[in-house]
Amino acid sequence: MEARRIDSGKIAEVSHGLERTEVERREKVFSVTDLSVAYSGNVALEGVNLDVHKQTVTAFIGPSGCGKSTFIRCFNRMNDLVPSARVSGTVLYHGEDLYARDVDSVEIRRRIGMVFQKPNPFPKSIYDNIAFGPRVLSMEGSLDERVEQALRRAALWDEVKDRLKDGALGLSGGQQQRLCIARALAVEPDVILMDEPASALDPISTTRIEDLMHELKRDYTIIIVTHNMQQAARVADMTAFFSVIVDEDGGGRRGVLVEYDSTTKIFTTPSDKRTEDYVTGRFG
Amino acid sequence: MRVEFQGELDALEAGFQETGEIVLRSIRAVADALRTQDVELCDEVIAFDDEIDDRYHGLEKQIELVLARQTPVAGDLRLVLALLHSGLHVERMGDQCVTIAKLTKLSAHLDTKQTVIESLVDMGERCEEMVRVSLDAFAARDVETARGLHGLDDLVDRANRQVFGEVLGYVHNPEALEWGMRQITVARCFERIGDNAVDIGEQTAFLVTGEFAEFTDASH
Amino acid sequence: MTSLATPVSIQGDRPRRLWRNRLFTLAMLLCMLVAFGTLAVLLVDTLITGWPAISSQLLTGLPSTVPAEAGARPAILATLYLGLVVLLFSVPIGVMTAIYLEEYANRERWWNRAIEVNIQNLAAVPAIVYGILGLAFIVRGIGVGRVVLAGGLILTLVVLPTVVVSSREAIRSVPDSIRQGAFALGATKWQVVWRQVLPASIPGIATGSILALSRAVGETAPLIMVGAITYVAFNPTLFGPYTALPVQIYNWTKQPDTDFQTLAAAGAIVLLVIVLSMNAVAIFLRNRYRKQW
Repeated sequence: MEARRIDSGKIAEVSHGLERTEVERREKVFSVTDLSVAYSGNVALEGVNLDVHKQTVTAFIGPSGCGKSTFIRCFNRMNDLVPSARVSGTVLYHGEDLYARDVDSVEIRRRIGMVFQKPNPFPKSIYDNIAFGPRVLSMEGSLDERVEQALRRAALWDEVKDRLKDGALGLSGGQQQRLCIARALAVEPDVILMDEPASALDPISTTRIEDLMHELKRDYTIIIVTHNMQQAARVADMTAFFSVIVDEDGGGRRGVLVEYDSTTKIFTTPSDKRTEDYVTGRFG
Repeated sequence: MRVEFQGELDALEAGFQETGEIVLRSIRAVADALRTQDVELCDEVIAFDDEIDDRYHGLEKQIELVLARQTPVAGDLRLVLALLHSGLHVERMGDQCVTIAKLTKLSAHLDTKQTVIESLVDMGERCEEMVRVSLDAFAARDVETARGLHGLDDLVDRANRQVFGEVLGYVHNPEALEWGMRQITVARCFERIGDNAVDIGEQTAFLVTGEFAEFTDASH
Repeated sequence: MTSLATPVSIQGDRPRRLWRNRLFTLAMLLCMLVAFGTLAVLLVDTLITGWPAISSQLLTGLPSTVPAEAGARPAILATLYLGLVVLLFSVPIGVMTAIYLEEYANRERWWNRAIEVNIQNLAAVPAIVYGILGLAFIVRGIGVGRVVLAGGLILTLVVLPTVVVSSREAIRSVPDSIRQGAFALGATKWQVVWRQVLPASIPGIATGSILALSRAVGETAPLIMVGAITYVAFNPTLFGPYTALPVQIYNWTKQPDTDFQTLAAAGAIVLLVIVLSMNAVAIFLRNRYRKQW
């Protein structure tokens, strides 16, 4: 073991993840009130209330089928692409109703980007992948600069700067996912949604993505869905635990928000017994 | 990789070392107070113990958070556990200093015997050295040096027995006896500080080797 | 449960299953031999029959009553023109239809489901029926007349369902994750289709189109219906009378002179070469651009 030189000046710098009071002092980015989602009449998620604050990482955890992926897709109206989905309740984005009639879903998706579970690079070159967003949105300014900036922010620039014209599908899984993050960053979003971004990756790539989240948190608001509790514990400031309620008569399953608090609280002294059971791994 | 986590570990260790420095100052202060029979200095040491206790509880809380949020394993886990134990030892040392200070205050109005005082001051200086060594060995992850603490502790124990022997001689002088009894307790406190320093050395060995072993056995 | 003391033999001793296995393999091989063997025999026979008549005269000369001087240039040219017309019409219409059906149509609406079902039916309609329809509506109805354009349009109708089906397959094979990714960046529906789905499905579309084209080039019945004239001794133009290679071959076979039979076989070889080369291009494209998602 090597000797450690401890710099005692660093003590104050490091945060363990923001405390709740610190989080709530920041501007609200999303304000969700009584949100429910149903697919062809079957309620998947019911009565969710929560606020997401600026420049924080918020994690949604819970067993499968609890509606956390459905919920995160409400934030950028990706549920619109599913014809059988019905969303009720209110989602306010910087105070404006996200589901109002005259809202431009293209603008929403530019500002609220998304990274998916399985990396989905386009079958084009690395450059064209990143440039796709700015091109379809007719963004001004140098495309080369945008691409470089985005790749730098996603901690991928050094690895691909000499092969921007190569196909994106030739990258490794971890690199592909960082490419997808860079792609989302290229359109200058405000919020980044991540739906289980590391679940298809190996542990080292996962750690890189988590480190990246810590860096990105300085400039963007991040919401992440994860089925890996420890990941939520490591990266999130606030954690929301969702669970499933089974209707005794109908046998239908609905997702509900059980507890939403600072990650520290959820993982040390959760208020709800269901939360305690889930995080300690004793969940049915 | 895991930059945040590494930063948290570094912060924990830095906090521990800082508290160690504070306790070192307390030890030096009580040794000085003994030599000069300075009651005000004793009061300062007593007051300062609050800071030491707060720091220990802060360390404990931070360790709880690190365990809950970062799930450290292997070397990281041993470091966290070693810090938890060593932090407690440091806090105990602080308490010992408070006891010494209180006793010194209590017996300040009585006559002192120079030989005993010299022995006690000597014990204090050796303790200071032991604590210094234990903190440095921990920081350097130096098991050899940590094991050497056992030898230094022998010297402290010897001085303790010396004081005891001296005081036995005061049996015919009630005032001196009263003073002497108090000094026996002071010597005992120093001896406990030494033991705590050896314990920190054992934690260093645990941190590096992964095995916990007493440097001395209790039959000694 | 066998006890540990008596190990079970790993030697296979199930003869009946083994024999059935072998029998089945044998039967399959036999069928394959029949199928390919027949084909091989046909090809070889044509090749042997027609070989003497293969010459530059065949490819560059005009038809003639004298077999030695007869050529199929006008027919070959017309076949190529027809192919071009089919390509120009069937691909855009077919691809656009496929895009509508795959990307825009709401499956729950009854009319879309009706279209789905009937695309397959249309592909099964005999080509001669298209010929009759073409005669009524294109040649006479619109009044274009018995010209190359009309023939091309009718052939377009014949192969259009095939183009639609193969384009749909190509579009469908583009993973949905690509579309999701594009939407999530703020692309509109049209941008997603035009910039992601279509480019990714071009190899599949190209393959399907070329295969459809090679079928069109070989159609005879509808062309006869809409008046591919038997004797054309001049180079065809888009709006002029014409004859196509299959028709020319048919006409040669009707002649009593055996030399014309040889010519017909030779013409068949030429047609085969044209069709097989198109297919080869299609297969090459498919293999070259096979995507690993």
